[in-house]
Amino acid sequence: MPILDRPVAVWTALAYLLVVVAIGVWSARRTRGPKDFFIAGQGVGLLVTGLATTSAAFSGFVFLGGAGLTYRLGVASFFICASTGFTAGMLCWVVAKRLRLLAEVREIYTVPDAILARYGCRRASALSALAVLVGTVGYLGAQLLALGVLVESIFGVGEMVARWGWPEAAGLPLAMAAGAAVILFYSVAGGMVAGVYTDVFQGALMLGAALAVFVYALEAGGGLGGIFGSLASSDAFGADFLDPLSGVPALTGLGFFFVFSIGTLGQPHMLHKFYMLKDPRKLKWLPLVIAVSQSVCLLIWVGVGLVVPALVARGEMAALANPDQAAPEFLLAHVPAALAGVVFAGVLAAIMSTADSFANVGAAALVRDLPRAFGRPVGDELTWGRWAVVGLTVVAGVFAWAYGDLIALLGTFAFGTFAAALAPALAIGLNWRRVTKHAAIASIATGLVLNLGLEFLARQTFFPTLPKPPLPPGVLPTALSLVVSFAVLFLVTWLGPAPPEEGFESDVEAVMEA
Amino acid sequence: MDRDDTAEGRESEGRESERRGAEGERIHIRGVAATVSLAVLSLASVLGVTALLVGRGPAETVFAAVCAVFPPALIALGATRRGSCDRAVVVTAVALFAVLAAAFLLLFHYRGAGGEAPTVGAVPVPVAILLGGVWLLPLAFVGLVYALTFERHGISGEDLERLRRLAAGRGAAPGGEDRDVDQRPGEAGG
Repeated sequence: MPILDRPVAVWTALAYLLVVVAIGVWSARRTRGPKDFFIAGQGVGLLVTGLATTSAAFSGFVFLGGAGLTYRLGVASFFICASTGFTAGMLCWVVAKRLRLLAEVREIYTVPDAILARYGCRRASALSALAVLVGTVGYLGAQLLALGVLVESIFGVGEMVARWGWPEAAGLPLAMAAGAAVILFYSVAGGMVAGVYTDVFQGALMLGAALAVFVYALEAGGGLGGIFGSLASSDAFGADFLDPLSGVPALTGLGFFFVFSIGTLGQPHMLHKFYMLKDPRKLKWLPLVIAVSQSVCLLIWVGVGLVVPALVARGEMAALANPDQAAPEFLLAHVPAALAGVVFAGVLAAIMSTADSFANVGAAALVRDLPRAFGRPVGDELTWGRWAVVGLTVVAGVFAWAYGDLIALLGTFAFGTFAAALAPALAIGLNWRRVTKHAAIASIATGLVLNLGLEFLARQTFFPTLPKPPLPPGVLPTALSLVVSFAVLFLVTWLGPAPPEEGFESDVEAVMEA
Repeated sequence: MDRDDTAEGRESEGRESERRGAEGERIHIRGVAATVSLAVLSLASVLGVTALLVGRGPAETVFAAVCAVFPPALIALGATRRGSCDRAVVVTAVALFAVLAAAFLLLFHYRGAGGEAPTVGAVPVPVAILLGGVWLLPLAFVGLVYALTFERHGISGEDLERLRRLAAGRGAAPGGEDRDVDQRPGEAGG
């Protein structure tokens, strides 16, 4: 059944969009300078930071793509979520404290700012800004494309324009433009103030929707016993479906685990949230807030991911031609219309909260980090930041529409690009004084180039003559890039000359000692 | 009076000696934790690269070990403060390593068991290990230990005061963009 035929879903989505716009209007009056625009005036509380981090971290993939991935790969896909129990704690222990304290002693709004302060090196900062920009365009474009597809499905934009005599294919770019317009409205007007408060609303929506759908999934599947019983005896899915190390090569499953646990340490859209915390001592409870809220959000992936194949195995649902339809098919067939509406609004929320974070992070890289790295800081960062958000969103949207495959490709490995380029320089560099700027530059450059190169070769279909990367079966290019980036950082640090004794400037010294 | 003084003195000395003992233990754990973490992470990085490039034979087991050791080693390194690491954090890191290592070992043990794998409350053991062992078990203690030990490894009121005084003294300097930072002699840290 098309979503458009469910008026409740349409009205819920409309109501959601109205709330988001209202938050944008409210936030616009509270955005007076670059500090407000990029880090919400560093005046955000614990729960807001926690929920904003969760909703920025989880894109629509968790709500729609996760269940599809489980349908395709089996429980091996849970290696992606399995590190949620400790990732937030690790994040706070390893990087959050020092990032937040750096923002206490200096005007630090971004990850490249922190790299500049830590290593005192513009080249390292510029390279990290470049990594942020490349990843941002991919991530943002992928979110806008997904947003367009969802808005088109909910509001039937294609059918609508067909009635006006336009080609139905115009529905997607129009839907993308409409979704992008809403994001731009609140992101440009309210910057990160709007970003975090829409994130809170969006995060709360995602939590409620995920929890409710999980309960419905258990009920539809006949409880855990019914679900696993159906899957274990299914010929359609086979015994490997329930074996985490057989559904995919073991190195793939473990690679998922490595990338999505350690790689979190380099995700700028999450790390920026730490700068926004008003009282640094509130970091105390942040891991619990993030870990619990992320775990609740992921219930939708686990619940729908398991129940759909179980229902297919029992013959209560037709086999899916496209695994990505697992979540929508389940929601439309097994969940009350009102809840389905909330969930679709939750998916919109997940996509938009990730998109607005990236628009802001990318804008900061463009108007703050890169100009400063080249010694030409921009005068009015607030105004230029607003224009940069518009420019980046338009560029990412046009590219996503014109080169959908390429953008989807960039989007899928953006997480890995951030991880491989930024995680080692931040995670080790903020905790080990011996790491030099040369080690940081080598690690960032290696992670950026290796991940882009390997992922492009592995996934591209544009140039048939290009070889696949020479990797053993099952090895994820991102996992290799990340671990190589760590190895390069350690090798250059251990083998290179020790840094001079005088060390850091007094404020950075105090942060490193704290 | 003298006896009281002496008793009080002895008690005080005892407390001081106890404190020194505890401090000594902390210092010992601290130095070891930071050094071990860095050594482990360096070795794990090289082993991880090797395992992923080889991709056959024991490579899977080696990479599983890398996956099990990386997060706790990073936690121990991150919790190190002035060269020291709180004992509770060290125990947490070791516990996390034990949980992950045991989980991966069991997953390899049950690999290929398919429908023959035993169940725990209707859930096949390999799935229970991944969801319950790797995901939920650390969720139960990692964040909690972070909060409970925050005063010792996190940010104390004194730290914050000191940093704010420093920031005020520097006149809320921006992120370093106004200096020719690449020319500074001590840019790379100590």
